[in-house]
Amino acid sequence: MAVETSENGNGSASLLDVRGLVKYFPIKRGFLRRTVGTVKAVDDISFDIREGETLSLVGESGCGKSTTARSIIRAYEPTAGEIIFKTEDGDSIDLAQLSLVEMRPFRRQMQMIFQDPFSSLNPRMNIYEIISEPLLVHGIGSSSEREDRVAELLRVVRLRPEYMRRYPHAFSGGQRQRIGIARALAVNPRLILADEPVSGLDVSVQAQVINLMMDLQDELGLTYLFVSHDLSVVKQISNRVVVMYVGRIAEIGTPEELFDSPKHPYTAALMSSVPKPHPSQRTKRYVLEGEVANPANPPTGCYFHPRCPFATDQCKVEVPPLVKSKDGRYVSCHRADEIELTVN
Amino acid sequence: MTTETREPPAPLDSGFRRNDDASARIGDASARNDDMSGGDDGVSARNDVASGGNGDSPVAGDAILSVRGLETQFFTDEGIVRAVDGVDFDVLPGTTMGIVGESGCGKSITAKSILQIVEAPGRIINGEISYNPRPETNSSTDLLSFDANSNEMRAIRGGEISMIFQEPMTSFSGLHTFGNQIDETLRLHTNLTKQERFDLGVDWLARVGIPNPTQRMHEYPFRFSGGQLQRAMIAMAMCTNPRVLIADEPTTALDVTTQAQILDLLQRMQEENDMAILFITHDLGVISEIADEVTVMYLGKVVETGPVFSFFDEPKHPYSKALLTSIPSMFTSSRERLPSISGSIPHPQNRPMGCAFHPRCQSFMEGTCDVREPELASVNEAQEVSCFLYEE
Repeated sequence: MAVETSENGNGSASLLDVRGLVKYFPIKRGFLRRTVGTVKAVDDISFDIREGETLSLVGESGCGKSTTARSIIRAYEPTAGEIIFKTEDGDSIDLAQLSLVEMRPFRRQMQMIFQDPFSSLNPRMNIYEIISEPLLVHGIGSSSEREDRVAELLRVVRLRPEYMRRYPHAFSGGQRQRIGIARALAVNPRLILADEPVSGLDVSVQAQVINLMMDLQDELGLTYLFVSHDLSVVKQISNRVVVMYVGRIAEIGTPEELFDSPKHPYTAALMSSVPKPHPSQRTKRYVLEGEVANPANPPTGCYFHPRCPFATDQCKVEVPPLVKSKDGRYVSCHRADEIELTVN
Repeated sequence: MTTETREPPAPLDSGFRRNDDASARIGDASARNDDMSGGDDGVSARNDVASGGNGDSPVAGDAILSVRGLETQFFTDEGIVRAVDGVDFDVLPGTTMGIVGESGCGKSITAKSILQIVEAPGRIINGEISYNPRPETNSSTDLLSFDANSNEMRAIRGGEISMIFQEPMTSFSGLHTFGNQIDETLRLHTNLTKQERFDLGVDWLARVGIPNPTQRMHEYPFRFSGGQLQRAMIAMAMCTNPRVLIADEPTTALDVTTQAQILDLLQRMQEENDMAILFITHDLGVISEIADEVTVMYLGKVVETGPVFSFFDEPKHPYSKALLTSIPSMFTSSRERLPSISGSIPHPQNRPMGCAFHPRCQSFMEGTCDVREPELASVNEAQEVSCFLYEE
């Protein structure tokens, strides 16, 4: 299901091209830990991330968005598929084929920011040790150069360099998340994989971190893969959004396209579930019936068909491919061009 | 009503009126109260209460739950934490009061104080919680006059006033079937026989939309998904026909699609049973969907309270204003910087002098805000604010 993604409309080149990515987890049972089934966490997905953009992966819990991000950085071994990364010299390299040693220089170019600012910082290391650890791992700089670099990074994330010798417990959640961002930036990455980076923060602090991430993107030319279940935050930060459902892509589009004129019934249901920002907009919610499909035992055909009000017999049998629709959007729905969807 | 043994609930399909018109609930509690009147003996006391509204705009005297000067403190080794520091608000019958605030503002401790389930080293120091299930007779009782372990409090807790929690996974015992757990609630609060309790449990599971309810009664909580557990918890809280439901971040751990289902369910339950809801959340989107009135808390104090429309249209307190503009919503256009609130929430033991919000406030007035503490006072007919900007 390789989609023509490397040639994209606005001329900017893909930094990362994910083609047919698959990640299955075995289900093991019993004394002999025999494999009795597989969880199809990510099931043949393709998308690209363009240089300098923010691409978000959204979906309900268990839809495979975090697994996708972790497979890209090879924290999980992908079961199948290509992860084509464009190096600084313009070469294309399939990360999925590399050994872990060969992978190392590319890890430097891809860094992760985690959800929980409390468990992602080692409480026994001070801030200098935490932020300089990636430099140490990659053998960058002398000890005094590293110290200068850490001071600079702290300034970049709007923290005072004097705090360098303090331990994580002395910082608030928002400050810790900035430390996590500084650590990710230490090795000058080109791609940042941010897995729910503001979900653990208080609402008044979320805006600070989102603004910081957008500023850093402009200053340093970063590319973000942003994983979140919070659609308001996603709308705020993204250039393009990938909507996932049970390990597959439902739709790809700009936030405006998806929020205002979704093409996939699941996108419409998801957007309609988002609470309205003003009480005057209270309407009859389009409540999605039923439960998310089980990725260990998914339904046949389109995974969304048991909950879809537009499902036909074709949907029960045939898996809809992700295709480019007439207006250049990617949708995987047999009836995308027939049905009229509105988000109320 | 609070002290005597309660009547067993009537057969479930008799005493309830369905009200499918969702718009009727907004800002018009009295209209809804009227069509709840009538019904059979088992719930007639309830309905008398419900029809007590006389069409006038509600005033504090009509409140089913009225909290005044509540202070709950935690006596830790590091010192005293004033988690709830003089909180006042009213919950009107059949309406939803939303309490908004960030972590550490004392919103959950306020809820726990109402039911006197604050864990040690926390203690309720001061205050009055008037519970008035029949506003027309003005027979209010101060819940804090009962001991936490008294029979009166036990009858109220889970019977008259129920609570649902944020983490449905940790709120059930993993060692007992769901049927056992709902049976315990009904055994404590009703005089039904075992078979009747089981049937009522099945009925409530069906009402909250859980498929195969009879079979699910025999299953353990791990067999339920997160959304189903939250539904099951709502069923358990609702099975005693409470007058007030306290919902502490009931949808925070859920996906938006499940959240929409649960909000829908709560509103339907409220309409069918004419129940007041105290809804605690940090999510202003949820508040805009479900609340009739809003109370905003910051570091243990109420900073603003008023009707939901006034709050969204004309927020008064600088903290309310900042919250409304700094949170990304479907209104904000993408790739645009949000105005953010500087700084972070102070540690409760480093509470700033004067108004607790002053170090982060855009309208900070030196010599006033950092010296004196503002009092909650009316700024118009509907809204109360605690801020020196509105002081005469």
